[in-house]
Amino acid sequence: MEELDAEPPLMVVPGADPVARQLCFAWGPAEVLVCETLFGRRGGSPIPVLRPIPGPRSPSPTRSPSRPRALTGCVAGTGEGGPSASRVFVVRKDQDIYIQTLRKLFNESHGIFIGLQRSEEELVGKSRKAQLVQVSKNYRSVIRACMEDMHQAACKFFETWPCCFFQVSILSAMELIWNLCEILFVEAAAAGPLLLRLLDWVRLHVCDVDNMVREVLSSENPSKHKLFWNVVDVFVLQGRMDEARHLLSKEASANPTSVNMYKILDDLMKKMPVPSLGNTQTLTEMELKWQHWHEECQRYLQDGTFASNSHMESICKILLGDEDAILEKKELMTTWYHFLVTRLLYSHPTVKPMELRFYAQSSMDLFLGGESSPEPLDTILMAAFEFEMHQVIKECSIALSNWWFVAHLTDLLDHCKLLQSHNLYFGSNMREFLLLEYASGLFSHHSLWQLGVDYFDHCPEYGRVYLELHIERIPLNTEQKALKVLRICEQRQMHEQVRSICKIMAMKALRNNRLGSALSWSIRAKDAAFATLISDRFLKDYCERGCFSDLDLIDNLGPSMLLSDRLTFLGKYREFHRLYGEKRFSEAAKLLLMLMTAHIAPCSFWMTLLTDALPLLEQKEVVFSAEQTYELMRCLEDLTAGKSDKQKFQVDDVETMKVEMLRLALARNLARVIVKEGTLEGS
Amino acid sequence: MIHDAQMDYYGTRLATCSSDRSVKIFDVRNGGQILIADLRGHEGPVWQVAWAHPMYGNILASCSYDRKVIVWKEENGTWEKTYEYTGHDSSVNSVCWAPHDYGLILACGSSDGAISLLSYTGDGQWEVKKISNAHTIGCNAVSWAPAVVPGSLIEQPSGQKPNYIKRFASGGCDNLVKIWKEEDGQWKEEQKLEAHSDWVRDVAWAPSIGLPTSTIASCSQDGRVFIWTCDDASGNSWSPKLLHKFNDVVWHVSWSITANILAVSGGDNKVTATSDHYTRFAMFLEPDEN
Repeated sequence: MEELDAEPPLMVVPGADPVARQLCFAWGPAEVLVCETLFGRRGGSPIPVLRPIPGPRSPSPTRSPSRPRALTGCVAGTGEGGPSASRVFVVRKDQDIYIQTLRKLFNESHGIFIGLQRSEEELVGKSRKAQLVQVSKNYRSVIRACMEDMHQAACKFFETWPCCFFQVSILSAMELIWNLCEILFVEAAAAGPLLLRLLDWVRLHVCDVDNMVREVLSSENPSKHKLFWNVVDVFVLQGRMDEARHLLSKEASANPTSVNMYKILDDLMKKMPVPSLGNTQTLTEMELKWQHWHEECQRYLQDGTFASNSHMESICKILLGDEDAILEKKELMTTWYHFLVTRLLYSHPTVKPMELRFYAQSSMDLFLGGESSPEPLDTILMAAFEFEMHQVIKECSIALSNWWFVAHLTDLLDHCKLLQSHNLYFGSNMREFLLLEYASGLFSHHSLWQLGVDYFDHCPEYGRVYLELHIERIPLNTEQKALKVLRICEQRQMHEQVRSICKIMAMKALRNNRLGSALSWSIRAKDAAFATLISDRFLKDYCERGCFSDLDLIDNLGPSMLLSDRLTFLGKYREFHRLYGEKRFSEAAKLLLMLMTAHIAPCSFWMTLLTDALPLLEQKEVVFSAEQTYELMRCLEDLTAGKSDKQKFQVDDVETMKVEMLRLALARNLARVIVKEGTLEGS
Repeated sequence: MIHDAQMDYYGTRLATCSSDRSVKIFDVRNGGQILIADLRGHEGPVWQVAWAHPMYGNILASCSYDRKVIVWKEENGTWEKTYEYTGHDSSVNSVCWAPHDYGLILACGSSDGAISLLSYTGDGQWEVKKISNAHTIGCNAVSWAPAVVPGSLIEQPSGQKPNYIKRFASGGCDNLVKIWKEEDGQWKEEQKLEAHSDWVRDVAWAPSIGLPTSTIASCSQDGRVFIWTCDDASGNSWSPKLLHKFNDVVWHVSWSITANILAVSGGDNKVTATSDHYTRFAMFLEPDEN
């Protein structure tokens, strides 16, 4: 096990007093409990501390999400108690699952994930790539939809939920990164289309200027607006030539003196060669055209055509890819990657993917200019431009508070066959590791755990064992939930878990005195010991109340009756009662006798059985044959003989009376039956 | 002063034990904390609590400086003492329930050097087996190995108990980690793991994720945390690997339920969670400086 290669993030437990306490902890199924204590407890008296619990720390939106920020201030232990009060904190790693608006993200991305796992592997080449790009786009649209919802929630609830805007910015960052990964890795855009994709990417994500653009365009006289030129610049920087030209035309009509200048500039902008998506021209052709065009722009600039209008001159310089001119418009670009793309547009439109890294690094250096250092988002994007996929995933894992992003992205990249197998300590690969982490996180949620099951299913090495470990920890609050969990376990032949869950449910039912439910659960668990226990309870109840509860269940036990001897007895005993109720006396009699002679009935119950025999003995028609009567007598003698002398003296009157009655009834029956059988034989 | 806090199996209840001799149980669903029970019965600070598997009902064990181990049970909505064991001569430091497959069995480690194993045999009866002189001077921690049935791929016929090989690890003041195995109803010392140079404060046997290796974490007064691994099923050769040497006593180690994270609590006020995976993230928890 190697040493940690990065300084781990520090998470502060608010309210815990460092002077008086040390921290002790325990794992819960999905959280860590941290409590203040004092080790070295052998000797040393506890130091009393009482502190109010501070409110939750609200993260500042400008700082990137770099910590596991999930700390709930759940405190147990006496806040109100005396001097030895200390507190327990519940620390959860993944609070995002509890955010309502993210629910859609988890649910819908789950659908996309499953679809991807099951998708046609036979498709190769272009069609496979198109399929994967579509999957990527689907993921992104889910992120965007979620962002919309979150934004609306943020606007509505910004007072009670200030972190909503923060969430929006995180989602936006995720979509930004994902989009770039889609362009560079999934689609693997080649030189030419690469630039167009990057332009789209920038246009989609740099929205800071949208308000300004809207303002100018919707004003009565745009060309008179003080921000007019800014907007033109924005269009040019983003390569939106048509829109730029359109605005410029307004300026031209307003200023007839600069018509000439305008016409030239407009022409240049119209003629600018751009890479095409289709196969209408090769790269070399495009490069050639571009070279010509570049030279033409150069000529006009050097001739001083635009000298009288600084704005237009600056635009021309930008068209020529003049870095300084572009950098002047820093505030309109807001980010170094916008700067990068603009640079590429106007100096290397046919940039190859592998060349991106050099331009990216220099763009970031030029843009940040040593004033500010890169944020985590910048590092991630840089890693992407450098085609360091593993680095991207690693940085995202650290920066984001939730495994959702890296798990799904890595899975997609794995399907693109882009990830080399990277052996970890346990031997599983990165895709599986991230999916396992993500799915594990879902299990602490009362309904999202069901999504987690599917993710585990698609982790071939450890998915099953992880599922086994997690599924046992789902609280089985309702019978429905238990059945749902059971169904999942049964579908996957997780017999141990099935048994365990059934046992737990049986115990719960028993504690709530729901004997029927307890019995059916223990039958399902094949738990003979418990079934015996419950059968005993049933029988006890019968003795006390004279009737059975849950008759339906006992009547329909079927072969599961054989699970335990006591259960068998219960079933058969009930059958005896039924037979008696249906007046099928001889069958009832036979059964009753069999219960004793075959030792199915426990000894403690024999007295009751013999007492049950009484009405049968008193019937008008003789029910018990001679042989059966002898058997009954023998049973009675066994029962009474078994008692010691001391017990005989302690036996109460009712008992003695019962025994006497039985002896009498048996004798009478014997008499009748001898006569009857004798008569039959005689005739 | 709370000495231990443990979540139940589902994370819905929290049990804490304290030097005020009480054991408290809270309902912590939905982020709340409602005191359900305040159990009194110990006559000294209570060091540890442990929840039994829910299939046995709601059962909690606690051990204390007063040399007693108490098993509490919830019956009809109220918590009551269901068993009290007073067979130790000194403070009982650690209690740990065995895997539910073995039945309801509790291991207890005490400062008198002995480890006792309390097994519930039914009808309110408990059977006691004692390992005397398990560790000279005292035993500080006990931890059970996960249940693994030899030949567990074969489904056992219902009602028949499979032949489990029961093992647990203990750590003591003799600087040793010992592994105990049950043979013919008797507990025997199977292995002696030597690597620490001071009292072993805690041991934790990692949950099984289906690999043939077994893993134990141990931490000690000497500031070291070792990870012991054994590759073969017969449990004969354990090799230690130093995870880290901290600057202060390490008191507590514990594995997450899928054994991918080991949390370590040190005297230097930090709780470290280390994950030995790709991202190798570690999380330090420390009290707020403010």
